Amino acid sequence: MTQAPGFETDFWKDANLRKVWDEIVPGEPRKTIPYKLTLEAIQLYCRSVGEDHPLYFDEAYARKTPHGGLIAPPSIHILLMFACTPTDDWMRTPGTINAGQSWSYNKPARPGDTITLQARALDKFIKRERLFVVHDNVFFNQHGEVICSGRGQTIRPA
Amino acid sequence: MSTSFENLSVGDTINGPKFDVSRESIRLFCDGSLDYNPLHLDDDYMKNSFGKTNFGGIIMHGMNNFGLITRMLTDWAYPAGAIQRRLETRWLKPVKPGDMIQPVGIVKSKQLTQNSRWVLIDVLVRNQMDEHVAAGEAMVEFPVSGSIAV
Repeated sequence: MTQAPGFETDFWKDANLRKVWDEIVPGEPRKTIPYKLTLEAIQLYCRSVGEDHPLYFDEAYARKTPHGGLIAPPSIHILLMFACTPTDDWMRTPGTINAGQSWSYNKPARPGDTITLQARALDKFIKRERLFVVHDNVFFNQHGEVICSGRGQTIRPA
Repeated sequence: MSTSFENLSVGDTINGPKFDVSRESIRLFCDGSLDYNPLHLDDDYMKNSFGKTNFGGIIMHGMNNFGLITRMLTDWAYPAGAIQRRLETRWLKPVKPGDMIQPVGIVKSKQLTQNSRWVLIDVLVRNQMDEHVAAGEAMVEFPVSGSIAV
């Protein structure tokens, strides 16, 4: 199975370095890392959800479309979220529960793009004894164009 | 008849792909998404309770629903030259190995703006028991000109 080279798949590693709910400061930028999006990574993601559109797989087909070449599906930000954040980021904290997401799409990501992320916690609150954080994320390509932007909510492990 | 902004009506349905959830499909989603949270990998860890919730075993990534809904929307929109512009989802019920899930979309409204045309779609993911596991809303743009039909 291909994975991003060097990606740490053991989410327990560095767990003690990650911020808990109490330490997360809404408004404070998260540390992020640029990520080179490969065709291989796009297609592995596609296979995991059964995406088989030729825009993601068939270069000759994609070149003849208005996109002018292969693109990634809009939902590629699912992969980018982990690819663009370091091992001590609190998104990786074991037991983090995803409570909902909303994303807006501007331009498709493409194989070979260098993706950057601007991210922060925007808000945090307690509801029915559960610890929530609201996340605010924007992904850019190497031309400074917005690919997509989104807001998510997670329930933090108590 | 192919989909176009003109011939869409409120209440029209979009049937998404059926998706069999297994330990292998969840593992593949870990690799595809780089989300290796032990919620999706570690049976021993999942014997714990999370707040008031005990899942009783590994669960599928909520974002697997999101990816499946996206697949439904783009497969529907691309041939019409339309673009998925927004997707909002929330999870209603955990999905586990052995489940079969299927997204569906229902056209909620059509809207003209100064420069473009939009379709709002209610989305829902059901499991094999017909229970709702995810719900949300999508916004698809049907550009007036410069169609990017593929």
